[in-house]
Amino acid sequence: MIMSNVAIETRNLTKVFKSKIRSLDSQSAIFGRKSSRIVTAVDHLNLEVKRGELFGLLGPNGAGKTTLVKILCTLLPPDEGTASVNGFDVVHEQMDVKRSIGTLFSVGERGFFWRLNGYRNLEFFSSIYNVPKTRMHTRIMEVLDLVGLGDSAFDLFQKYSGGMKRKLALARALLPDPPVLLLDEPTTGLDVISSRNIREFIKNNLSRKMGKTVLYTTHYIEEASQICDRIAIVNKGKLVACDTPDALRDMVKEGEAVEIVVEAITNAQLEATRIIEGVLSVFSKTDDSVHGQTELRVRLASINSLPIILDFFFKEKIKLINFKREEPTLEDAFIKLTGKGAED
Amino acid sequence: MFQEAEKIYYFMKRDIISFATYKTNMVIMVLSALFGALSYAYLGSNASMQSVLQMYKMPLATYLLIGVAFNTYLAQSLTLVQRTINPWSLEEVLVSPTRLSTFILGSSLWGFIWSTGVIAIYLALGSLAFGVVLNVNLAGTALVMALGVGTFIGFSMIGAGVLILTKQGDPVTSMIGILTTVFGNVLFPPQVMPYQLQIISYFVPQYYFFTCIRLMLTGWSIQMILPELLTLILMCAIILPLGYFIFSWCLKTARKSGTLSWF
Repeated sequence: MIMSNVAIETRNLTKVFKSKIRSLDSQSAIFGRKSSRIVTAVDHLNLEVKRGELFGLLGPNGAGKTTLVKILCTLLPPDEGTASVNGFDVVHEQMDVKRSIGTLFSVGERGFFWRLNGYRNLEFFSSIYNVPKTRMHTRIMEVLDLVGLGDSAFDLFQKYSGGMKRKLALARALLPDPPVLLLDEPTTGLDVISSRNIREFIKNNLSRKMGKTVLYTTHYIEEASQICDRIAIVNKGKLVACDTPDALRDMVKEGEAVEIVVEAITNAQLEATRIIEGVLSVFSKTDDSVHGQTELRVRLASINSLPIILDFFFKEKIKLINFKREEPTLEDAFIKLTGKGAED
Repeated sequence: MFQEAEKIYYFMKRDIISFATYKTNMVIMVLSALFGALSYAYLGSNASMQSVLQMYKMPLATYLLIGVAFNTYLAQSLTLVQRTINPWSLEEVLVSPTRLSTFILGSSLWGFIWSTGVIAIYLALGSLAFGVVLNVNLAGTALVMALGVGTFIGFSMIGAGVLILTKQGDPVTSMIGILTTVFGNVLFPPQVMPYQLQIISYFVPQYYFFTCIRLMLTGWSIQMILPELLTLILMCAIILPLGYFIFSWCLKTARKSGTLSWF
């Protein structure tokens, strides 16, 4: 059998939810009529994740990220289209898909048994993930060490911190040593340090060292840009863009942005700067009158226009304190592509 | 002061609106109260004691001890599946290569072992403290218990399925509980009730279970209870697969609608 280079693939994947809602006026809170609402959570989505890729799925809340993960791990059947994981169809070859994946849900720690210790929890999950009994102990200790919980293996789960619980959920996903990992918002609710540890572990160990294919959903832009090889931006169930973080940034690049800090500049001089050839826009970002400094964000048609501005400042005797080129951020790309901030 | 009173009003308003969303639950609570009163009224009646002596040839204490002990056992079985299906562990199991039947059986087993131990304590205490005389037909008792558990797991799966779909109180389990108390031959023989009510008992598997188990624990042979036993076998053969079918269907429907983790 020739193994395809594609680990996860969706074709025209669609999932529609129908729900009934009661109108909100107080009179109908108990006896009011219900009306139907249809939400297309995943809308004709086409995606390809290559083997060994750390692939980010970025989108605001309600974009359809969790729905997609649930379809890929066979929890939700799609309404239209197809999806495959590790070459297996998520509808017709469910057991093969389940043997190919490790899953971490954003509230995954709730599936643990709080009055068992970490080791005993993993012992139970090893059995349901078909880890052979002869390998069970070794494998549990391996994954616990891998996520840094080796020393806390025999502590009760209920005594674990939020970060430790999430690490144990990661360890559980790794138990069967699956080629594909579906990680749904693995850092939600964690503090900055725990989040960073988990991100680094996913990037350095799971992706780089172990070569796992990782689908990583998040609504944190910086997370996705720091660790992912490629990112798909989804909004209202639709794929808005899919490329490397750099390419996504370039997508929204219009000209060059430069940050220039000068000593006090008059309004007339600011207006004069705006009409210099090649200058698209000039914003005064800060005006610190105490220190007599003004921070300008200048957008240029090309970087060649920069000497003209600097020459103008020299002639006007505007003292230049600092200047640097500004790269568009992934957030710029996200806002432009989805029309909203990620945490909306 | 007025502001605090107003807060109390809003606490109560919140609870009333929340309570009213569980309409089935409201009906069941009222029915439970009615049938509970009815069952205790029959339990205390003289007719009940006479009937027990005539039909089962055993003292009322023995009759009640077995009824209460095994009612606890069946009540455990009835809620076993519901107790194992918290949505989070259910999702974790469903994404693993594990069969649904393995999940149900595996999740239920310890509950049964524990309940069996509790029954043994009940019966031992009854014998020692109240002089209840038991003459156990071991094979028959095991068979009747297996049939009772099978039937009740069937009911439990139906209840769990309904719970997964409706996300509200499980009306099936509550209704089975009511039926057991009044028509199940637990605290008094249904024969003491008016004929119209007695008929209902003959359609309730609990009636056959409690009849058979009492006789198996007091020296009767399997041949002597064959009609009741066969009826129980038939009911188990229908209810257990029906429960599995309904549970699987409800689970599939909840997965399709994406509401599995909502209850």
